[in-house]
Amino acid sequence: MSLRAMHSGTGHSPISALALLIVTLLYLGLMLSVAPEALARLLWFALYPIVMAPVAGEDYGHIFCRSLVVLPFVLLIGIFNPIYQTEPAFTVSGVIVSRGWVTFVSIVVRTLLSVQALLILVDSVGFVGLCQSLHRIGVPSVLTTQLMMVYRYMTVLLQESLDMTRARQARGYRGGSMSLSMWGSYCGQLFLRTVARSERVHRAMLARGFDGVIPVLKENKTWSGRDTAAVIVIASIFILFRWGPLPALFALG
Amino acid sequence: MSHHFIEFDNVYFSYPGGHEALRGVSFRITHGEKVALLGLNGSGKSTILLHTNGLLLPTRGTVNVGGIPVTRRTAPEVRRSVGMVFQNPDDQLFMPTVEEDVAFGPLNMGLEIEEVRRRVADALQRVGAEDLKQRAPFQLSGGQKKAVALATVLSMEPDIMVMDEPTAELDLRARRRVADIISRFNHSCLIATHDMDLARELCPRAILVADGYVTADGPTPEIIKLFTSVI
Ligand SMILES: Nc1ncnc2c1ncn2[C@@H]1O[C@H](COP(=O)(O)OP(=O)(O)OP(=O)(O)O)[C@@H](O)[C@H]1O
Ligand SMILES: [Mg+2]
Repeated sequence: MSLRAMHSGTGHSPISALALLIVTLLYLGLMLSVAPEALARLLWFALYPIVMAPVAGEDYGHIFCRSLVVLPFVLLIGIFNPIYQTEPAFTVSGVIVSRGWVTFVSIVVRTLLSVQALLILVDSVGFVGLCQSLHRIGVPSVLTTQLMMVYRYMTVLLQESLDMTRARQARGYRGGSMSLSMWGSYCGQLFLRTVARSERVHRAMLARGFDGVIPVLKENKTWSGRDTAAVIVIASIFILFRWGPLPALFALG
Repeated sequence: MSHHFIEFDNVYFSYPGGHEALRGVSFRITHGEKVALLGLNGSGKSTILLHTNGLLLPTRGTVNVGGIPVTRRTAPEVRRSVGMVFQNPDDQLFMPTVEEDVAFGPLNMGLEIEEVRRRVADALQRVGAEDLKQRAPFQLSGGQKKAVALATVLSMEPDIMVMDEPTAELDLRARRRVADIISRFNHSCLIATHDMDLARELCPRAILVADGYVTADGPTPEIIKLFTSVI
């Protein structure tokens, strides 16, 4: 994702930032409340990122790959389930699958889907758009401004590290692995530069009257009838996924 | 309107870490005066500018802007009248779009949304950046960023303008435009610059800094002659 997209979003979403935020929150709420054993039901929810990514102008494959970064983390959390929950859940062609394995897969799937839904949201409305929408649904500005500041420092960090990498390459550094001592000084430099840069950015904000709250000029798109319609339709589908009588997508559970 | 003045009285400043960047700076700029701040790299120009609106506070001595002594407490008030264009536009621009960035100052001043929009349009038009309105500041060229950074300050309609290298990185046409904006700005103006032609053209008076001291203060042509003779 480019820095620009991260900042202000691709803007390709056909619905407003606020509507997409509501849809995403509904999705997370309903999807995460599916019982751990109800794998079949959970898998229906996997349709959302697959369908929504292209609608919001993004590539699902790309979203999927990026969501994999959380895998090591969830594996660590879920890996004990198969060990402790050994009672059988169901059998697949004669092989008994324990409840532990089902809940383990369930944790992995839930996490991946959550991350994918959030990636779609942030990519499409941008971080600032997200903060502004959060503010509009009543999250206190202290919190949303904090979020924006954290994000602002992250971008500064990213830019500085990009600049430093370029500078290193421009002076003939040929890639390959850096020695440990080089890494040490690289990180130290990066830290100092980021602090100095953040200080200058903060100064510039103060100079223009910043008093702790980032003011909002406008929302990217205003709420329209189309948003209402989209939220109702999508919410109905989620409710169907969650409680409706659905055929199992795969022959399990 | 004689209250748009800046007065430095024996200002000392040390950066955290101990480097003494200013060592007894004194000068006074009265209403409507346009003054160039000249000096070599590292002489203390940017440091002086950062004192004009309380972003840095003197370790000794005082800064007074329009009758208000600049302190931590008065700084927010002073910043309403002193508009500052920073040396590096990357430090100044941070909102997702150019339009929102230019609106940032006026919104902080608590202006009505209609007035904010009018000012944003006006400021962007003055720097010739109307077309960049919806772009992300990240994407702009160095010169475009500089122009937008100037617009973010113009939109606040300050009484005093303080600029750090306003013409660095600008092409001829953009430089011309900035020079016109400055010459049409009829309040006080303090400009740190290495652009001697700009100083000569816009500022009747110049202050020369070296090593944190004011070493000369007077008519720009004379100061430039002195400056070029010592380097
Ligand atoms: N954040 C800082 N911490 C410590 N020292 C600093 C810091 N910023 C500037 N200095 C030092 O203070 C002195 C004056 O710096 P300043 O930025 O005011 O110079 P300048 O006249 O604006 O130079 P230039 O023409 O290169 O912009 C320099 O010696 C510089 O190294
Ligand atoms: Mg400087």
